This record gives sequence, C-alpha cells and structure tokens, in this order.
Amino acid sequence: MANKNSKSVTFDNIVKIFKDPQSGQDVTAVGGVSFTIEPGELVTLLGPSGCGKSTILRMLSGFENPTSGRILIGDNDVTQTPPNKRDTAMVFQSYGLFPHMNVSENVGYGLRLRKVPQKDIDEKVQRFLEMVGLGAMAKRPPSRLSGGQQQRVALARSLIVEPSVLLLDEPLSNLDALLREQMRVEIRRLQKSLGITAMYVTHDRVEAMSLSDRIIVMKGGLISQIGTPSDIYRDPVDTFVSGFVGKVAFFPCVVKGIDDGCNVEIKGHTFKAPRWSDKLKAGDKALVMARPESLSIGEPGAGVEDGTVTANIYLGNSVETWVHTDLGNVLVQIDNPDVKKIFAEGEKVSLSFDPSLTKVLVDDLPKE
Amino acid sequence: MNKRVINFLLTILFVVLVGTWIYTSVRDEFLKQTRASQRRTVETVAAGYPEPEDVDEWLKRLAEDANDYRIALVPEIPMPGEKLSSSPKGDPELAKLTEDSATDPEFSKGFDNAAYEEIYRSARNWTVGAKEEQALFFAPAVSLKTHDIEGALVFAFNTDGEQGFMRMLNTLFFGAFVLFAVVIWQLMMSRDPIVGFALAGLFLMTLTFVAYPLFEALRLSFMENGKFSLSVWRTILNSEGYMSALWGSLKLGCWTATFSTLVGFLFAFVVSRTNAPCKKLISTMGVLPVISPPFSLTLSIILLFGNNGLITRWLRVVGLDFSIYGLPGLVLVQTMGMFPIAFLTLSGVLQAIDSTFEEASLNLSAGRFQTFAKITLPLAVPGLLSAWLLVFTTSLADFANPLLLAGDLRVLSLESYIEVTGMNRLGHGAALSILLLLPTLTAFLAQRFWVAKRSYVTVTGKPSGRITELTTPGVRRILTGIIFAIIIFLIMLYGTIFAGCFVKNWGIDYTFSLENITEAITRSTDALFDTVTLAAIATPIAGIVAMIAALLIVRRKFHGKKFLEMLLMTPFALPGTLLGISYILAFNHAPIILVGTAAIIIINYVIRELPVGIEGGIASLRQIDPSIEEAATDLGADQATVFRTIVLPLVRPAFLSSLSYTFVRSMTAVSAVIFLISARWYHITVLIYNFSENLRFGLASVLSTVLIVIVFGAFGIMRLLVRENANLMKNVT
Repeated sequence: MANKNSKSVTFDNIVKIFKDPQSGQDVTAVGGVSFTIEPGELVTLLGPSGCGKSTILRMLSGFENPTSGRILIGDNDVTQTPPNKRDTAMVFQSYGLFPHMNVSENVGYGLRLRKVPQKDIDEKVQRFLEMVGLGAMAKRPPSRLSGGQQQRVALARSLIVEPSVLLLDEPLSNLDALLREQMRVEIRRLQKSLGITAMYVTHDRVEAMSLSDRIIVMKGGLISQIGTPSDIYRDPVDTFVSGFVGKVAFFPCVVKGIDDGCNVEIKGHTFKAPRWSDKLKAGDKALVMARPESLSIGEPGAGVEDGTVTANIYLGNSVETWVHTDLGNVLVQIDNPDVKKIFAEGEKVSLSFDPSLTKVLVDDLPKE
Repeated sequence: MNKRVINFLLTILFVVLVGTWIYTSVRDEFLKQTRASQRRTVETVAAGYPEPEDVDEWLKRLAEDANDYRIALVPEIPMPGEKLSSSPKGDPELAKLTEDSATDPEFSKGFDNAAYEEIYRSARNWTVGAKEEQALFFAPAVSLKTHDIEGALVFAFNTDGEQGFMRMLNTLFFGAFVLFAVVIWQLMMSRDPIVGFALAGLFLMTLTFVAYPLFEALRLSFMENGKFSLSVWRTILNSEGYMSALWGSLKLGCWTATFSTLVGFLFAFVVSRTNAPCKKLISTMGVLPVISPPFSLTLSIILLFGNNGLITRWLRVVGLDFSIYGLPGLVLVQTMGMFPIAFLTLSGVLQAIDSTFEEASLNLSAGRFQTFAKITLPLAVPGLLSAWLLVFTTSLADFANPLLLAGDLRVLSLESYIEVTGMNRLGHGAALSILLLLPTLTAFLAQRFWVAKRSYVTVTGKPSGRITELTTPGVRRILTGIIFAIIIFLIMLYGTIFAGCFVKNWGIDYTFSLENITEAITRSTDALFDTVTLAAIATPIAGIVAMIAALLIVRRKFHGKKFLEMLLMTPFALPGTLLGISYILAFNHAPIILVGTAAIIIINYVIRELPVGIEGGIASLRQIDPSIEEAATDLGADQATVFRTIVLPLVRPAFLSSLSYTFVRSMTAVSAVIFLISARWYHITVLIYNFSENLRFGLASVLSTVLIVIVFGAFGIMRLLVRENANLMKNVT
C-alpha cells in the first residue's frame, strides 16, 4: 500500500566519473545506469564493494553530482537540487547521530529545521520513538545507547520528516548477526507500514533477498540484472549474478537445440532445462547452473560428474556436503537428511541434478 | 547548462551597462565640479588684474599665494599662427611653454577666446616643466581703467587630485564588478552558494592580507627612487653592521634554543619518567611563562639585575660588576620565556613513547642510566630537534625582549624596527625582516617536513598510564632540585613585577606607595580600552573564520586548496616585524588605505592568529565522522545551519581555545602592532615599553600586572568552559 506521500524514483542514464586524487585519472564509478523505483517499493542495490552502489545512493541523496544523466523523484528533476532541498532521508552506515544532542533532540532535528511548533515536535518525536521501541530513552545521549538502539534512533530521525524516499546505506553492517536479523525485520515492517519508497544498499545477499521487493545487482558500475529476489535466484542473467546471490555449481555442456526448453548434452546425458540465456543457439558450448538444493549425490558413474566427498556439515534440517570434483568444490544440499543416504568423507560419489530447477547460461567464466 | 550560462552573461551585461552608466555619471559630475571650481578661480584671479605698473608685483604675489595653479601673462595677444612678440611673464616654466607652443592650435584657440574676453580650457593636458598632465586655462587680462584687453593670462592647474580620484573610481568600480560577477556566478551556478562565498572570501582575504603585503615588502626591497634596483640589498649585504645583526640574531637563537631545550627536556623528563613530587606544580610552571605578556620577564630582570637593580646593588657591594644588557641577559630572559615551548613538545613526545620499551630494557638487565642513554634518549631525538628548531624560530622572531635588553647586541628584528621608525627607511626595514625570514623559514620548514616525519612516535591510542622510574633517588633529588630552583626563580620574577607596583621609585626609593597605580591607571585608561576593544573585535572574527577555513579544508574538494592552505598558514612562520612592516608598506597607498585605522590592527591580529585556530579546527574535525554533517544536510539544513547547529558545537573545544588564544595573543602583541598603532589606536604593550624606556618601571610594572591578570583570566575562563564540554564530547565518532 503506497503512501500518498511516497514517490517514484527514476535514474535516467546516469554516469558518474571521479577524478582519482593520486593519479589525476578519470575513474568511472557509474557508467550509464537507468532504472525506476515504484512508489512504496523497497529496492536493494546489491553488489561487491566498488560496484558503484553507494555512489548511486549518494547521487540520489544529492551528496554527489552525476556527470551526466537525470534523476527524478516523482516528476521532479532533482539532478541539480542540493541535498538539503531534496525530499530524501538517509540512514547512514555509521548512523551519523549528533553527539551533542540527546535522542529526542536528534529525532526532532529535521522538524525543528522545518519550523514545526515545539509542542508538535515533542508529540511526534515521542510517537516515532515508541514506534522504534525507544520510548523510554528520549533523554539519553546517543553515546549511552547500544548499536542497535543507535540504529533505531537514526531510522526514527529519518522517518519523522516523512520523506518521499528513504535511503539506507548498509545500515546493518555495524551490528552483530542476531541484531541484524531483528533490524532487518524491523526495517521491512516500518517501511511497509509507512508505505515509503526506499532504496537500500548492501553487499549482503541474505539481507537483500529477505528485505527487497526488487533487487538491482550491480557490477563494475553497471547494472547486471533487475528483478524480484526469486527471479534473480532462479533466473540469473549470467554466472556473476548467479554466483553473487547464492551458492552454485556450473556444469559445462553443449546446446543441442532449443524448443520449449533448452536441450543440452553433458558427457552423453541429455537434459531439458526450462530456462536459458537468449543468446544461446544450437551447437554452443554453455554451462548448466545448478543450486545446491537441486543437486543430488549417487554412486560413482551414475551422475554427470564424479568426485570425492570432502566434508559433511550437519544443519539439522539439512546436510551440506562438499564434493571435490574436476570442476572445483561443489556444495550439495541434502534436505531431510534423516531419510536420505549420507556419503561419508572420502567416499567416491557422482553428482546429478534436477533439470527442472536449472538454467543454461553462456559460458563467461574466466579461463585459466 | 547553456541556458544558465546565457542567463549569467545577460545578468553580467546588465550589471555592466548599469555600472557604466553610474560610473560615467559620477566621473562627469566630478570633472564638471572641479573644472567649474578651476574656472571660478580663473575668473576671480583675472578680475583682479591690476594696472600695468603693478603687474610684476601682482604676478609675484600670486606665485607665492597660489598652491594649486601657476600663472603666466602674455603681454600682447598674437595673431593666430604667429609667434609672440614679447616673452611672457610670470612662472618661468609656464612662460617657456607658452612661448614655445604659441603657434599650437590649442594656444591659438586660447588666445582667440581671451581676445573675445572669454575663458578657455585647453582640450588636452600639457606638460609644464617637470610636471605632467597640467590643465591649461586661458583668460583675458583686462585693464580696470580702460577696459581694454591688454593681454592673455595662462593658468596651469595641477590635475593630481583629479587623476587620483579617477584611479580610485576605476579600482572601486572594477572591484565592485568582480565582486558582483563572483556573487552572481555563485548564486546562479553553484548548488550551495554559501560554500562558494566562503571560499571566495577566504581566497580574497588571504590574497589581500597575506600575499599582497608580503609582495609589497619584497618589491620595495628591490626599489630605489621608484625603479628596480639592487642597491638596498647591496647596502645591507655589504654592511658590517647589518651582518653583525644577522650574526647576533643567529647566536641568540642558538643559545636560547639550546638552553630552552635542555630545561624543557629536564621538566618533561621529570614529569613523565620519574616519581618526583609536585608534578602538577612542575607542569603548571613549565607552561605558565608561555602566556606571560611581553616585557614582563624582561622588566623584572631589569628590576633585579639592571644597572640599578636590587640584586645588582648587592653584588656591587661584594665587588661584582656586570651588565645584564646584551647577549647573556637576553639568553636568560628568552630561555625563561621560551622553554615552555620545548617542554610542551617534549612532554608530548615522551608521553607517546611507550614505556614498555624501557621496561623491556630494564628487564634485559640494563641499568637505568643505560636504559635512558640507549632507549629513551634516542627515541626522543626527533622531539629534541623539533623543540630546538621551534624555540630557535621563536627566538629569532622575538622583538619585545631585545627591545629592552639588547644593549650593544644587534639583532635583526630590532634593526628593522629602527630602520623603519628611526630612519624612515622602509625599504631597508623590509629587506632586513626578509633577511630574518630566511633562517626562520628554514628552521620552520625543517621542523615541519623533515624532523616531524622522522619521529618514531606512534600513537597507539592506549597510553599505559604507567611510569617507569628511570632515576635513582639521588639523581632524582638533583634533577628536582634544579627544577625547583628554576621555578623559584620564575616565581621571583613574577613577584618582582608585582612588588614593582607598590614601590615609589625602584632602584632609588623603595618606600611603599600607591602613586604608581593611580598614575598608571589614569595614563593607560585609553590605551587599555583600545587594546581590549581591538582584541575583543578580532577574537570572534578569527575564531569563526578559523573554523570555517578548517571545515572547508577538511571536508571540501576544491581547486587551489593547497595554495589556500599555504597562504593561511604562512603568517605562523613570519616574524611579527615583517608582517608589521609589510602592512604599513602595503596599506598606506591606493587601492587600500588602512594605516592609522583600527581595521589594520584587527586584520593583523586575525591573520596572525588564524593558523593556530585552523590547525586546532582541522585536528578536531578529522575526529568527527563526516556523516554527522551529511545527516544534518540530508534532513534539510543548509550549509550555514549545519555549521551553526552541528559543526560549531562539535568543535567547541577547538573553537574556544582558538578564541582565547587569539584574545590573549592580541592583548599581548608587540612586534607587528608597534608599527600599526596610531595616535587614535594605541596598544598597552607599547605603553609598557615607553614607560620602561623612560625608566618609569613602577608604571610599567602596574600595566604588566594588569596584562598578566587579564591573560590568565582569559585562559582560566576557557579552561572552565572546555571542561564543562568535556563530558558531553566523550563519544564524538
């Protein structure tokens, strides 16, 4: 449910070129990026460090100026608007709480700038503090809060000004694992209940998968893929995306023909995969992408690739078995392990996969 | 983008049009006025044309009385194009010009007008004798009796005033236009114009008040009678006197630096490496002299060891005769005043050297002395060098102490002062202070870029707080003994000044009296008021500008940042005398005339004290996470609001210490301000100097005491305010 206040965000062919202070050479941080975020949607920018995701966030908040292209919030072109005039609010990685103000002064800062009467500020600050579960901490200085509490203050401070777009710059990276999980749920709940448009930057795929309406996967300043978490997991465009959003194994194959599926051959076995890259045609060398849960282990010779079990990790609802093969170490996830055969470490095995869960990708892996 | 450029150009065009219109109107009106007044003069003078027999007498009287014009009489008006039939009378140079140029069309026109009883102003300016650009007027010489035209009067008016006005007008309009263009550019092109304005302001300020005066000083040292010449430098470098002054400065600097480093190291070592008693007292006394006002230590040394000093007299009884004036006395005073610099540097260094090293050494069964010689001392060597160079620089630039105590010793800072105020040879003064800059700058740069880089000190961020005792009790007793002797001597010096207030006539009549106090107060009220006013105005300006500059340097990327930083920091390394001399050189003529105003003193304070404030601001801003400021911007605060509500509160300690530092330094300034004071704006330190020179030591003591109280008070207040802040600031990042 989109809030009437929340707006769409459009990036129109945005390029950002930095000058390297040491060498004086131009470095392209973002090389021509276009996308749209719908009102009320939470979109995550996911990618390894240096892929340009933070630069995109900082351009949307106004702290960086794009070298070319246009940025729109709603229908307004904000490309040249300074950060203080933009209707965005950012939650910083290091929170950026004002150390000389207490919690309620921090949260009320944006309202004071907007000349809201003090009485209304007090009332609204209290309401937002309750919302993030810090009603009792109003008078504390930020230095006397825990990391998670500081994060909540930063969140409340951004939300209270009712921005059109909420920006989150790796907000959970300074928290420990348990808190991170809690905050993830909390952020998603607040964002949904307020119906606010949000852009979230992270390099943590679990965070991206669990929070987002859609994910934008970036690499080297360019967008690799935009899609829902399940699209990106099941139907990645290339080996980079498939590897970045989850564990994966690639099996070299030859494309035999394409009809209602992609028919491939691996070592004499033929399979039909329901998804494949558009660029593939009959006769191409390609890769079959299989996730750990689509793989299974059998007696040697039965599958498509032979190997040796190197480790079994028992996780209760599943067992993760590592198999060393000529293709590298492959992770196999065996669900309901109590009713299945678990091969011991050192045993020779062979791998096979469920073709209906795979995708055939162009072989763009670096060759040794 | 193109649309904005066109808008900008259109606005500029509009401004230029309106500006040109105003400019020409002002200029024309001014010229009209001056010409009208010249014409009136011409009319009045011509109307007084006397009888033929009195003409010579009349011309002579006019030549004596008139100061803005010269006059010549052409006895017979020639026909156009013909030469004069007889030589003109009156001002010889003008007469010669008239005779030579009689056939010039302009002169013909003038004579023609005179023949018709009209006054004519030549269309162009003429060179009369040595004077260029003279405006010529032609008027008829009419006989009072016959009303006949007996000849023509030629007037030559000086146009210096006119031209000066035009130059000023041009500068003014050009300046206004540039300012306007910058402002409009910023407003139209920049996303945050405030930052642009601040940057433009800083560049303008440093160029005008740092680069320009220094350039002027340098330029003047290469000028002779308005032309380029090396004669000033040749004179100085060939003169034995000046060279001995350079040598004197260097000698003084070396001795003072060596003794100060020794004393400073002693203090620092005892505080940070032994379990000596009263460490707090030792630390306090090790810092105190650095903020004592100029002249105060010199004054008490003179009171005690001067020719009529208290101790001198006793020593004379014993048969010892000596003079405190000269090198030894100066080294003593400077060491007392400057060892705190070494102490502060070295205690920082020693505290940062992890005492684990020494423990390790002791643990490996080295003796205490061996540990000191093999571990502590080598680790402290860069610090020692650093301290030595810092004191050396300070000693060289010192002006107040030599002023009273130099005796026969010649030092450069003093020499340049004498050249400027005594001999009125500004070029020599400028050259001498530039000469002084060479060793100062060398030492400063060596300290900054060579020694500081070599430092072994690594900040671990976890000072152990433990002290490794490095002395045996015996050695410790000796060291503390020396320290306490120095401390007692210092207290005695301060005590002497205090006692000096209550003694009738020091050296002659030691009876108790309050006369000095009442006299000093009545005679110094104005100067004290001036001093406090000027310091109070300069303080907030310097503080705010320093924090803004620090913020821009730390947080912003812009072109010319290194250059701006260098300009801002330069005054720190400049001897005060050089800054003072260059200011009177640069600001006593167009386009900026400030000599004699309060502004020149205030600007001088601000420029001189900025570097320390900026360094403090930079250091504390580097500790603050930039996302704090970004968060405020993001929530809707413009740059000015971020500065006011976030930056300033966060750098409060640095801001406060910058404020108190500027205030104290402005209250106790001598070396630069002595050149800049005027009858209207006086400085109390100069008054102290004058009283001391006139042997009114009682008055000088009272004023010194007043200054000491003010200075310590200012620091005390600052300490209180900072402490109040301390609990709040524990967790800035």
